[in-house]
Amino acid sequence: MSLSLTIAKEEWRQWRRSRLAMLSLIVFSLLLIFTTLLTLVEAQEARHQRLHQQKQAEQTFMDQPDRHPHRMVHYGHYVFRAPPPLAIFDPGVDAVTGQSMFLEGHRQNSAMFADARAEAHTGGFGSLSPAKIYHFFLPLLIIALGHGVILREREARTLGPLLSQGVSGTRLYCGKFLALTALIAVLSLPALFSVFAASLKGEGLAIGLALYGAHLIYLFIWASLALLVSVATRSRGLALGVLLAVWVVTVLVVPRIGVTSASASIPTEGKILTDMRMNDDLRKLGDGHNASDPAFTKLRADTLAKYGVDKVEDLPVNYRGVVASASEEKLTKTLNEYAEKRLTREAAQAAHLSAYSWVSPYLAVSGASRNFAGTDLATHHRFMREAEVLRYEFVQGLNKAHVEKLSYEDDLNRNKGEEGWRKARIDAANWQVLNDFRFAPDTSAARAERALPQIFALLVWLLALMGAGLFTARRLKP
Amino acid sequence: MMRELRFMLRDKAVWVWLILAFLFSSVAVTLGMNEINQQRAEISELIELDQSEREVVLGEQSDWGSAAYYTFHLTYDAPSDFAFAAIGQRDVSPWKHRIRMLALEGQIYETDANNPDFALIGRFDFAFIATLIGPLLVILLLFDLRSGEHTAGRLRLIEANCKNPKSLWWSRAALRVGGLALVLCLPLVVAGFLSGTSLGTLVFCIFAVCLYLAFWMALTLWLTPAKRTGAYNLTIMLGVWLLICAVIPASLTQAINRAVPLPDGGDIVLTQREAVNDAWDLPRDATYDPFMERHPELDAYRGWDSDAFEWKWYYAFQQVGDQVAEPLSQAYREGRKKRDKVAGLASLISPASLLQRTLEGMSKTDMKSAMAYESDVRDYHAQLRAWYYPRMFKSEDYDAEMANRSLPDFRSSTRMGE
Repeated sequence: MSLSLTIAKEEWRQWRRSRLAMLSLIVFSLLLIFTTLLTLVEAQEARHQRLHQQKQAEQTFMDQPDRHPHRMVHYGHYVFRAPPPLAIFDPGVDAVTGQSMFLEGHRQNSAMFADARAEAHTGGFGSLSPAKIYHFFLPLLIIALGHGVILREREARTLGPLLSQGVSGTRLYCGKFLALTALIAVLSLPALFSVFAASLKGEGLAIGLALYGAHLIYLFIWASLALLVSVATRSRGLALGVLLAVWVVTVLVVPRIGVTSASASIPTEGKILTDMRMNDDLRKLGDGHNASDPAFTKLRADTLAKYGVDKVEDLPVNYRGVVASASEEKLTKTLNEYAEKRLTREAAQAAHLSAYSWVSPYLAVSGASRNFAGTDLATHHRFMREAEVLRYEFVQGLNKAHVEKLSYEDDLNRNKGEEGWRKARIDAANWQVLNDFRFAPDTSAARAERALPQIFALLVWLLALMGAGLFTARRLKP
Repeated sequence: MMRELRFMLRDKAVWVWLILAFLFSSVAVTLGMNEINQQRAEISELIELDQSEREVVLGEQSDWGSAAYYTFHLTYDAPSDFAFAAIGQRDVSPWKHRIRMLALEGQIYETDANNPDFALIGRFDFAFIATLIGPLLVILLLFDLRSGEHTAGRLRLIEANCKNPKSLWWSRAALRVGGLALVLCLPLVVAGFLSGTSLGTLVFCIFAVCLYLAFWMALTLWLTPAKRTGAYNLTIMLGVWLLICAVIPASLTQAINRAVPLPDGGDIVLTQREAVNDAWDLPRDATYDPFMERHPELDAYRGWDSDAFEWKWYYAFQQVGDQVAEPLSQAYREGRKKRDKVAGLASLISPASLLQRTLEGMSKTDMKSAMAYESDVRDYHAQLRAWYYPRMFKSEDYDAEMANRSLPDFRSSTRMGE
């Protein structure tokens, strides 16, 4: 162990003496620190703003005056998704999905106002986040500093003397690995900071540390790859070329090819196309605004039979409300069927994409990072599902009030002059049917479970690369 | 020169990078064309569905008001014949909308978005290859040009044997980068001919790419002196690449977003919703007064003809909802326009952004085109209103067949028809 330490210390001394190494280290650290702080501030701002907007939306809904209940169904409600605490590290899909949604009767809307649509477009890799720097760019620093750890000895012709002095190749490998470990430890500090900052905002420390751990594994993968290439090649130029090619292919090319492959093998159907296909189905259900729509003949007969009367006017409840409620129920069933199909397809695409984790550790770590942070596709889907539950609940709550609190006669006469207008209303106290909506991330356990396959892929990568490195190092010759 | 060419072709590394470049570019344009063909196919399917659906729905109605309420109209932004090269904004901004005659502000921000996981990773299109991978390939081809000879001990010999060593290195570098430009652009040209891209666009695009690669060539030659090792030079150039292709664009975006704030999008929709919903409880003139300011020709038809609900009033307050939200919506659009304008100026100091924006501009997949489409949708919506209002306000008899024939058509009413 002490020998490994000596080797590592020597390597650190070399780095310290190299202006290039120090410069790149400093530049990367500054970039990381700056991005970490900036993302922290932005995520906090967004969080406060959306929680505030949510409260305001609820207040506005409750504050509406006495009205016809169906007016409130169309008045609708807004839900906002506040970013989870760990979004300060990985904002994930937030920027492309939009975080607010309008809920109303008879319709399922999509999330609106994605940042990506309004931001200044300057190409490159888009806006930076700590996660992005870790996933994309830190491997480059590790390559730059790590490709030469063995080759340097070889080129300086110190490798021969070292080996002949009884330092085995394995020992040398361990020493150099230790040197890179220290580098990774230093570089990972900003991530650790984000984890602690998130835990102060209510995030579990364990899940944060798991996120941190996943990134450590990822960085170690690059370190062992650099080390392997450094052991196995004969010139620095070649080593760098090979490592760079691996980086370009696994970080830049494979993920994008994966996207194309996923969308080709599981084609997406746009929402508009789905909506139009669905329209045929929906027309069969009848229009809930029109109680005399032939689609409701059976409902009418059933309702009359249930109360044992002959005319809807004699019903103890408001028949128009009954129709509204029944048609919303059927409609929602159809809407949900189609929505579920869409979500399932998206999830299947994501699964197809994440299978490429076996070819690209970048995909593994970025997927796991979003899983841990609670900014992944699955969380977005849960947001949409929970918003839909809220929508259905308040719409049906209002329809219930329509059935029970508003008389059929007043309802029919709602358009008959001022008097009719005023009578066709119910008390604003009924607006309390709206539930509070505070979107929370999944439990730590659920998030960790989703990340498991990716973590497994990362570990396999790491073990394979370390194994190959040790194997090659054992047979190291000057 | 021929000697240099033969010399270059003997270098195995050059072959590796050039073949890789050719592969990347071919795959990128193929995928791009696929995507655009899919979008075209989706649009034509939508057009067909839209027409048949409207026919059915119009036939079921008995008055203009419900006709306008129940009929949706498809609008779309057909991809240009060069869109395969840069998918650009088509991945994040909507290129298809279904609208109806209700308040537009409640509809126009809806997006028929793709899988968010995909948008996060991005496209493998020609623009990506040219702006981000291209420079890396230039670096890989050139970083060891002189230092390699230096390490091999041939540098002095080579430089002593020619009159102007500087021009020797430049021509060697130009040969390699020329080869790279060739293999990158060849697939593009083929795809361009297949897609019917105009020659001018192709030539300009190739010119832009060559200029960009030449910039990287000059930068690499300048920053990789012979006396440094190849590894040192490559590390430096990687840093430069990172700076120019990632850090500068991201910082510009960040700075511009901060400098040009936008009104919160949610406020627009909220304002519109409040205005529309409050109108139900307001005296009718509170709706008609602001409405008639825009439609003085309808002022004579304010009268309430029946005891019942009146569609014309309903649509009037839908429009007033848009009017109330107009300042915010206008500010939101102006803000986006301004951000894009500033980004355009800022890209003059950021070559990667400049090329990306140029390619997207030529492909009509830039922010400007996305906003032009939005404004087409607004125009079209206004035409729908202009078509329905007289019929509704003057209580003309409903005629489904006539509606089917003469309702404004999105294609012929916008720049599509040009």
